[in-house]
Amino acid sequence: MTTTLTKQSLLGRPIDRIDGRRKVAGAAPYPSDFDLPGQAHAALVSSTIANGRITRIDRSAAEAAPGVLLVLTRDNAPAVADPPMSNLGSTMRWYFRDDRILHYGQHIGIVVAGTRAQAQAAARLVEVEYAAEEPVLDLDDPRATIEENPYGLDSSRGDAAAALDAADVTVDSTYTIGAEINSPMGLFTTVASWQGGRLVVHDTTQFPSMVRASLAAMFGVPERDVRVLIPFLGGGFGAGLRLWSHTVLTTMAARELDRPVKLVLTRPQMFSSTGHRAASRQRMRLGATQDGRLVAIDHDAVAANGIGDMLPAPIEMGTPMAYACDNVATHERRAHLNIAFTGFMRAPGSVELHFALESALDELAGKLGIDPVELRLRNYAEVHPESGKPWSSKALRECLTVGADRFGWSGRDPSPRSTRDGDLLVGQGMAEASFDFYAQPCTVRLSVDRGGNALVRTGATDIGTGTYTITAQLTADLLGIEVDQVRVELGDTDLPPAPQSGGSGLAGALGAAVKDAAAALGERLARLDGRPGETIASLLDRHGLDELSATGHSDLPAAAATTDLAVAGPFAATFAEVGVDEELGVVRVRRLVSVIDGGRLYNEKTARSQIIGGTVMGIGAALLEEAAYDPHTGRVANGTFGDYLMAVNADVPDLDITFVGGPDAFNPVGTKGLGEIGIVAVAPAIANAVHHATGRRIRDLPITLDKLL
Amino acid sequence: MTRTGIEYLRAKDQDSAVALVAEDPDAAFLAGGTTELDLALKDRVVHPSRFVDIGRLPLRGVTRDGDRLRVAALTTMEELAADPTVRARLPLVREALLLGASTQLRNMATIGGNLLQRTRCRYFRDPDVAACNKREPGSGCAAIEGVARMHAILGAGPSCIALHASDLCVPLVALDAVVELLDADGPRRVPLTDFYLTPGDRPDVETVLRHGELLTHVEIPLLPAGTRSAYIKVRDRTSYEFGLTTAGAAVQVDDGTITMARVGLGGVGTVPWRSWEAERVLVGSPANERTFAAAAQAAIRDPFTVPGTEFKVELAKRTIVRILRTVTS
Repeated sequence: MTTTLTKQSLLGRPIDRIDGRRKVAGAAPYPSDFDLPGQAHAALVSSTIANGRITRIDRSAAEAAPGVLLVLTRDNAPAVADPPMSNLGSTMRWYFRDDRILHYGQHIGIVVAGTRAQAQAAARLVEVEYAAEEPVLDLDDPRATIEENPYGLDSSRGDAAAALDAADVTVDSTYTIGAEINSPMGLFTTVASWQGGRLVVHDTTQFPSMVRASLAAMFGVPERDVRVLIPFLGGGFGAGLRLWSHTVLTTMAARELDRPVKLVLTRPQMFSSTGHRAASRQRMRLGATQDGRLVAIDHDAVAANGIGDMLPAPIEMGTPMAYACDNVATHERRAHLNIAFTGFMRAPGSVELHFALESALDELAGKLGIDPVELRLRNYAEVHPESGKPWSSKALRECLTVGADRFGWSGRDPSPRSTRDGDLLVGQGMAEASFDFYAQPCTVRLSVDRGGNALVRTGATDIGTGTYTITAQLTADLLGIEVDQVRVELGDTDLPPAPQSGGSGLAGALGAAVKDAAAALGERLARLDGRPGETIASLLDRHGLDELSATGHSDLPAAAATTDLAVAGPFAATFAEVGVDEELGVVRVRRLVSVIDGGRLYNEKTARSQIIGGTVMGIGAALLEEAAYDPHTGRVANGTFGDYLMAVNADVPDLDITFVGGPDAFNPVGTKGLGEIGIVAVAPAIANAVHHATGRRIRDLPITLDKLL
Repeated sequence: MTRTGIEYLRAKDQDSAVALVAEDPDAAFLAGGTTELDLALKDRVVHPSRFVDIGRLPLRGVTRDGDRLRVAALTTMEELAADPTVRARLPLVREALLLGASTQLRNMATIGGNLLQRTRCRYFRDPDVAACNKREPGSGCAAIEGVARMHAILGAGPSCIALHASDLCVPLVALDAVVELLDADGPRRVPLTDFYLTPGDRPDVETVLRHGELLTHVEIPLLPAGTRSAYIKVRDRTSYEFGLTTAGAAVQVDDGTITMARVGLGGVGTVPWRSWEAERVLVGSPANERTFAAAAQAAIRDPFTVPGTEFKVELAKRTIVRILRTVTS
């Protein structure tokens, strides 16, 4: 912990979550906890083929079933408009616009009944006939529609091809990652209610303003007449960054019935309804001089996408900025497959890129006989490699050196298969990560009252990461009051507009807006002629004021476009030690050290929790997680928590997490987002450790034991 | 088929439990719940008309009778694992129990329920999958052409590759455990190795249990003094997962020669797998790597594999070698 804090500052202190007690006491309402008077319950009808057309749907048996109030399919559903594009560049493809089936588990109807059990029983009575075709499920399937350069991000600096030809040493390797599904623990829920002309929706989302704009457009009502509420969210990991069809169907059913309707997805439905990290394949070519200077990076990537979908999750985006290298070329393609629509699963694109790039760097280090840490330091990007601008902050060097020191890297014998512990082969590997800066504009309303208490209100969400807590902490710090004097209201689109919890962008944007509001409030307070040492409470009281409010705003994207700095995201270095039971192929992580440059921390405890969560997810990505699709039906064959393996406690060793670096020079609070960086370097560090242990280079995630037999 | 309701009855005693199930061809016993409630209410792949709850019958506890242990069916996994005789004389049973499920589940899950658990095959457990010979005889097997990893390679065939995923049953078949069954005709005893049926052309018939017959006890012979035993479980994640391959073994070695051997295999069989083939190789042979490899080779003979389970052939052999090395080292 080397972040510098002023002595009195509340900022950075590892205080407990201010909502922690409510959460553990069951008093924090998650979407599925909301029940409205007169509410009916819904269940979905999903397709059992992945490609083809619906030729007939018979609702009659379901409609006649006990308790059933409504069965909606595309035959009797009202038309809705297309939703607009979100600021993430994604929109929703409304399934009911035609009779096509694009993926297994596609929602083709909704059944509403008096009870959930009645709705679920009736949903099974909807008879569907299809004209089915073989699904296109593989990246290499020649029937797949391929888009070249789908994001316009293919890039070229220097001449990578010529530099590769001329390089002393090259690496040319292909890396694949299976699809991963971010099925958060909290089952996605929509409770929709039309109150007069106004739509009120409790919805599991990380992006309530997008849900509001989308539903308003689709149902033809003004945005001000749509209210989306999400005070607490049971995990997102990116699954809540898109509008999903179950939200639209539930809203539609509520309008048709003119009564509140509640839908809670089932666990298997979560595996095909709320997005995932698409399967990908990357070819990474590196060229270097004998003394380890990178002269060429050529990165070719292809990832899956849904049919008719256009989710932007580029893999190539971070490649040009990762290392100081004169010749860099990137190419990306998108293959449209009969898979459920993808989403922004934690560090989308970045996880994929860094597995390939950091594995390839490790291969290069081996070929050159240069220590992997040293190789990265030799190619350290002191300034932004594209723009040449100085970074707003970059302590990646400290991440590497502090990490190596804490891990004991210098004692490592570089040759593979050199270390044993009993029956186990022991390996040590490392990787680094550079994460892109991202932010969106944010507005907050800040009020102080005569009791000396402050209220912060904004339409942002706390997806479990600590937004309530860090907002209170920052506000208290800026106003010179205690944290328990600050109340924070979030998760309501009637509050001032805020961006999504996503892209590691909320905390920085929200903090900047709070700081702006505090400054505005400070000016108004200053006009009240405060006496030295006088509290806000006394000042308001003396002037007979009940409260004083100010609005704060941040527009970091606009500021980033004009700054002379290269605006940095967070950086990380991860060091992993694995034990491999070679006879049985079993890999277990024994130690893991991560060092993070997150700029200035709001709260060292919630920051650490973010990195722990990302690391655990990274262990899952490295060793366990993969959605398996039935080759003939496209069904997710392991779509339950019993079958889709995530890391459990026993898979996670004690984690050593350290923060380095100082305040970021661009962000007004000095902070950088921490929601995603923790996962990025974990899988390549583990894969590199497996290679060091066994001499086997596994270029396909997850590294399951059969790949090592 | 969808039922609008399931009748729930609580049995007063064993005889009435048996009668209440026997009188209704669609009735089922309800003991612990994991399997039956999940399959009926959540997965909706079985459709009982009636549950007869036996959870409060006095069928709980472990008693020792000479060199045999008699375990009542409602004894929990944790209770059996904590039993002093199991600790002292049946270490492989204890290890198998403690490597199964999670602590929370083991505190609820019963021994009878463990023996009678249904397969975890996702093709069996998803009613939207049409082809499942275990659910609908004659409908086919989607798993064979689908994603198979947690599936069987022994006792399997074109009709079904569903795995019997129990850990506990692996040492129990190796130890010649016997189950006690009760129906209107009275009690009967069946060796556990005869209790389970490989799928053949009737994957829906999994045991010799008759409708209305209640599993009341399992009797486990204790290992002779001087026997070494252990259980090993190989799986993708460290805890809370079924095994890819598992093995339980008990051996006696006299002057370097194996004089007694029991080998059970899990993660590979459509039924808990007793490997008499491995035992025949082991008994009378020197306790060395060559013997272990030969035993492994004999145990995994004529496997039925699909692309997703091919790796299990080698993994199972290595698992056998590992357990034999462990109990003879």
